[in-house]
Formats: sequence, C-alpha cells, structure tokens
Amino acid sequence: MGLDVQRLLKEIQDVISELKGVENAKNIVIEALDSGVDPVEVVNAMSKGLEIVGQKYETGEYFLSELIMAGVIAAEITNMLKPHLGRSTEKPVGKVVIGTVRGDLHDIGKNIVIAMLSSAGFSVVDLGIDVSCEKFVEAVEKERPDILAMSCLLTVGMDEMRKVIEELRRVGLRGNVKVMVGGRPITSQFAEKIGTDAYGSNAVEAVRMAKLLVGGGSL
Amino acid sequence: MNRNRKERALKALNIEEPDTVPITEMDIDVPHIETLTGKTFSGQVSLQTAVSADRRMEEIKVEIKTECYRKLKFDVITCDLSAPDGWASVKNPDGTIVDEWGRVLIYDSRCKSWFPYRSVFQTPEDFDRFAFPDPHAPGRTFGLEYMKKIVKDEMAVAAFIRDPFAHAWEMFTPINFVKWMYAKPQLIQKAIEKLTDFNVEIIKQLADIGVDFIISGGDYCEKMGPMVPVKYFREVIFPNLKKQVEVANKRGLKIIKHTDGNVNMLLDDLASIVDGLHSLDPSAGVDIGEVKAKYGDKLVLMGNVSVDSLAKKSRKEVVKETKECIRKASPGGGHFLCSSNSWYTDAKLENCLAMVETGRKYGKYPINI
Repeated sequence: MGLDVQRLLKEIQDVISELKGVENAKNIVIEALDSGVDPVEVVNAMSKGLEIVGQKYETGEYFLSELIMAGVIAAEITNMLKPHLGRSTEKPVGKVVIGTVRGDLHDIGKNIVIAMLSSAGFSVVDLGIDVSCEKFVEAVEKERPDILAMSCLLTVGMDEMRKVIEELRRVGLRGNVKVMVGGRPITSQFAEKIGTDAYGSNAVEAVRMAKLLVGGGSL
Repeated sequence: MNRNRKERALKALNIEEPDTVPITEMDIDVPHIETLTGKTFSGQVSLQTAVSADRRMEEIKVEIKTECYRKLKFDVITCDLSAPDGWASVKNPDGTIVDEWGRVLIYDSRCKSWFPYRSVFQTPEDFDRFAFPDPHAPGRTFGLEYMKKIVKDEMAVAAFIRDPFAHAWEMFTPINFVKWMYAKPQLIQKAIEKLTDFNVEIIKQLADIGVDFIISGGDYCEKMGPMVPVKYFREVIFPNLKKQVEVANKRGLKIIKHTDGNVNMLLDDLASIVDGLHSLDPSAGVDIGEVKAKYGDKLVLMGNVSVDSLAKKSRKEVVKETKECIRKASPGGGHFLCSSNSWYTDAKLENCLAMVETGRKYGKYPINI
C-alpha cells in the first residue's frame, strides 16, 4: 500500500475518531476514491474510527453526543460509498431485525443502535416501536436475519422479550436466529435468564456483541 | 410537630430537619391515580408537555391528582404549565399530535399518556420559520393557579418547567440536535437561549402566583454519563441554567434540577448553580449517600428509590431499599423521599405504597436506622 493511500485511510479513521465533521469526511473520501483507494479499505478505516469512538465512550472520554455524531459521519460516508461498493464483492456484515417491544414507545436508544450497526456494516430492518410478539416472529420468518435485536425502556418490555423468545421456540425458529436485547432496565442476568444470546448495555456494546454473534465468536 | 405538610416540605427545602422526612412523587401515571382514587380520568395528559387547553378537563385533572396526593398524605404536589387559552394541538392523520413546541407526540393507551416521538423540525431552517411560543400568552399558569386554590396551604406546590437543553434535545430529536450542534452550533445555542428567555418570564409568573418551588424537568444524563460533553455544559447549558436560578432565587423560589442517568460528573458544577437535585438515579450508579456527604449542606436531595425496584422487586426488598435511602440521605434534613423518577404504570402499586409506609415509619427525626 502506497504512502498516500495509507495517509488517506488514516485521515478517514481520524475524521471519525476525532469528529472532524461531515464536510471534512466527504472531502477526504472523495480524495480517496479519486486516488483509486479500494472502497472496502475506506469501510475498514471507517470501522477503525468507530471502534476508537466506542472505546472513548466506554471509558468516559466521549459522551453520547459524540457517539451519535460519529454515527452521523459514518452514515454519510456509507451513503457516498454505496454506488462504489455495489460493484465490489463487499456484503453486509450481517442482517439485523430490530424493534422496541410491545407496550413501549421509546426509540431513542434503538435509533442510536441502528445508526451504529449500520455504520458498522450491518443491514438493519427497523420494525419501529410497540412491536408485537407476532410481528417479531413474522419478521424473523420473512427477513431471515442473523440477529433479532429487541429494545425497551420500560420494565413492561422485559416480559415481552421473554414472550418473543418463547414464541420463536414454539414455532421452531429460535435455532435460526441469534437474539440480542438491551435497554435501560435490562441486565446481563436478565438476558441470560430469558435465554438470549447476547446483551448490550449500550450502543457500542450492542455493535460489539452483534459482530461476535455473526462471526460465531464466543461471548 | 409541624403544623402541616407544607411546613414540613419547606423546612426540608431549607435544609433543616422537620418532624419527619417529607414524601412525594414528581408524578404518578394516570392508571395509578385512577386506582388510588377510584375515579376515571378521560382527559389528555403528557408528562412532558401540555396537550390540551380544555380548562374544565384540566380542573378535573388537578382535582383527581390532588385527591390522590391527599390520600397518600404527600407533602408536596406537582403541576405542569398549561397550554395558553384557546390553543389546540395539531392532529395528524396517523393519530399523532403536535404540541406547541413542534414535538410530535404518540399516545400510549397503557399509560394513558402522550410521549414525544418525532419532531416537525427536519432542517435547521425549520427553526428559523418557527413561531416561538409567547411566555405571556394568557393561561400558562391556569392549572397551577387552580391547584393553589384547592390545595391552599395543605401541601407545598411545586411547578414544573422544562429545562432548555432537554427541551431542545426533544424538540429537534437527539440525532438532529447533535448534527446541528456540530454543523450549526449557533442555532442550537440560540434555541437554548430562547428557551431560557421563555423560562425566565415563566419563572416570574410562577413567583407571582406563589408556588413554593420549581422542578426543572428533562434529563442531562444517560446511564453512562452526561449526554453532551461537560465542556458544552459549562459553555452553553450551565450559564443558561444559572440565569433561570438567579431570577427564581431573587424572587424567593428555589429550583430543583431533575435528571435521570449518571450525573456524578456534573455534580460539582450543579452544586454551585441549583438549589437541589431530583432523581439521583441509583440504576445509573448514583449513590445518594455520597452526594449527601459531599453536597448535603448546599443541595436539597429528592430521591432515590429505584423505579426498577418499584416495578420488579418484592415488597420486602423495596422496604429495605427505602430504609437505606433514608439512612443515607435524611439526617440533617434537606431530603425528600421519592422514587428515582415517578410512579410509572409499570410500578407495582404495592411497592409504591411500601415506600411511603416505610418513609413514615423510619423517617421520623432524629433518624435512627
């Protein structure tokens, strides 16, 4: 890899990890593509930048707004790369069906997780809020995702999560999909108790877990 | 013995020890109010905003809430600002409504309440075109004035205002707020300043009608910590918070700042600005004992039995947690016992009542737990 390419990829990583803004990000990506940099390498540089932001968020150096802003920059870069990636062999890292469970209308946390998952290369199907057990199961059958992700802010959502997992078992779909949960009242103990495959205590952890789930790694 | 519950609350507000720890809730969801009073409320409510200017319905809402708080023998009752006279929400074909602030609200039939869901602000220019609400529009204190009339001096009356940062965060939605905070920082700053100017005028009205103190609602923090960098708090948010507190204090009113989430990183700053803190969210890692030890001589503390405990734990566990809360926060006064947010529909009423009973039993001064 030439020095110029290395410099451009490092700049792409930094524009995200140091939150240098959407316009700067666009300019660097244009320069990289014009210089013949492989779009897949741009995606990898972007992912490294996002990982740094995630680490800084988890150690308290960055705050929620910075996590969101990194997702916004990454989403812009991803949009720019779409026509280029279409010609390459790059496939989504995995497919996630996500929703806020029935009885709960809150979606801020879910939307941040979606932005982060999309930035990390996942294809995401958002079922929205107040999603019934039947709708989750239907979506698993129809979309055949790698991961079903459920979110809630209210404690009422905890029982709904349990119901969805039981229903997936009953109709024989549980073995086809990994299940991940998160949200304010959710704990790792609860997630384990209802038989999920993973729990994300925040958006960064949700992405990390999703990557592990599709990669077949142990949690 | 304190003559009445209001006197008990005012002593605590003054960081003195009353006869017992005052007890209240920032709010109670309609289904619980209906259960506790045996009455049905068919009007429209939201914990975040005014959704109707139907004055008769507002009177009924205040009457039922007052009956509920009386039944619970609470020491403080709370009330939101009202919509101005003649105002009506915009009704969208999908069943959502738009409030005075451009927030699109969705109805939750389980909680019988409207929640902010989306926003009418899609671009920064939408805010430039927005007809900013007039704080002097008649009727904004209708509900509070009616509550003062029927409550008299039985309980302290706390007025809710909405914190400008949290208000802007909701008005624009978090993702747009952050996008514009980076791309158009002046726009976000201007919005926070305009919302502050609005609140300043409202605070003057609240002083005129004689509310006892103010709770500034809306979160600053999430589970991990502040939602925006501490530097941004210091440069933009706190100067505007201070402006409101100064106007209130000049008129003899204290402001208690509510926030969920992990507020630890902001405590030093907040202790030098506001008169008290509400929530002190134990689920996010806030230890009310540590806050009491460090800031108990400056800050009134309202909290902090976990709303998650009220929803999921046993009565015995709630009693234990409430005793612990009193042991840590009540000595010396300046403590109001309440949950870490409000009595959501999810909370088991049996647990909520256990918190209140425990407060009465173990909250007698001098505290001896």
